[in-house]
Amino acid sequence: MKELDVRGLSCPAPVVSVKRALEAGEGELRVILDNGAPRENVRRFAQGRGYSVQEEPFEGGFALTLAGEPKPKLQGSGQAAGPLVMLVGSDRLGDGPEELGRLLMRNFLMTLPELGELPDRMLFVNTGVLLTAAGSEVLEALEALGNRGVELLSCGVCLDFFQKKESLGAGGVTNMFTIAESLVGARSVVRL
Amino acid sequence: MVRDGDYVAVFNSVHRVMEAEKLLKDLRLAVLLIPAPRALAADCGLALRYAEDARGEVEGALAKNGLLPRELYRKTGGGFTKLEVEL
Repeated sequence: MKELDVRGLSCPAPVVSVKRALEAGEGELRVILDNGAPRENVRRFAQGRGYSVQEEPFEGGFALTLAGEPKPKLQGSGQAAGPLVMLVGSDRLGDGPEELGRLLMRNFLMTLPELGELPDRMLFVNTGVLLTAAGSEVLEALEALGNRGVELLSCGVCLDFFQKKESLGAGGVTNMFTIAESLVGARSVVRL
Repeated sequence: MVRDGDYVAVFNSVHRVMEAEKLLKDLRLAVLLIPAPRALAADCGLALRYAEDARGEVEGALAKNGLLPRELYRKTGGGFTKLEVEL
């Protein structure tokens, strides 16, 4: 059984690490983590994906054993496989007054964690990276998305352009190769 | 987005809630503009969230500037308790 130690990592990093390990498809996974939010978030995420979860105290924290098969994400046989990707190409939603557009984007991202089905990955490019940078009003919502297993990736060139490379507030940094690969390999892309 | 004990102020127009947010942010008060929780069914769909320790200053500033919300709620347990909007 593969073992993953995510002690000391702050949310949503434990969920992101577990998600990657599960997607690598190596059967049962034993996760060693801190009690509290990491334990709750990983358990909720794994159960939501259809895994059984067994918990036991371990060295001051907990060990969770995740077993079983994930729930099939797709219904019907006509749909292509692959992740659902959301491309956030701006810090505004829709055309119109800038102030309204920014408000609508914040409103959208804060509403997203309330939904049952979420994108697998969200890619932030151009002014979209201002949403993932420190000081953004939606960091709390992005953390909630991360805790539900949504992978958040910001364009490194864009962060550099806006001089935000050292102040990323949510998710990770990526490059155009990964962005292009994600878009081409997606079963569906939602562009904002 | 709303934790237990938080206050949620619902306004009757998007312009008022944006004006209120700007006022409170300029005063460096810890408020967050959020989608109005579905259970509260606000017309404009937006609300301001703040915690107990900011309540006095937030509502004082709103009252002083004629920007009191239409309705005020506090998250308690699984639901929202409606409070009087005091002038």
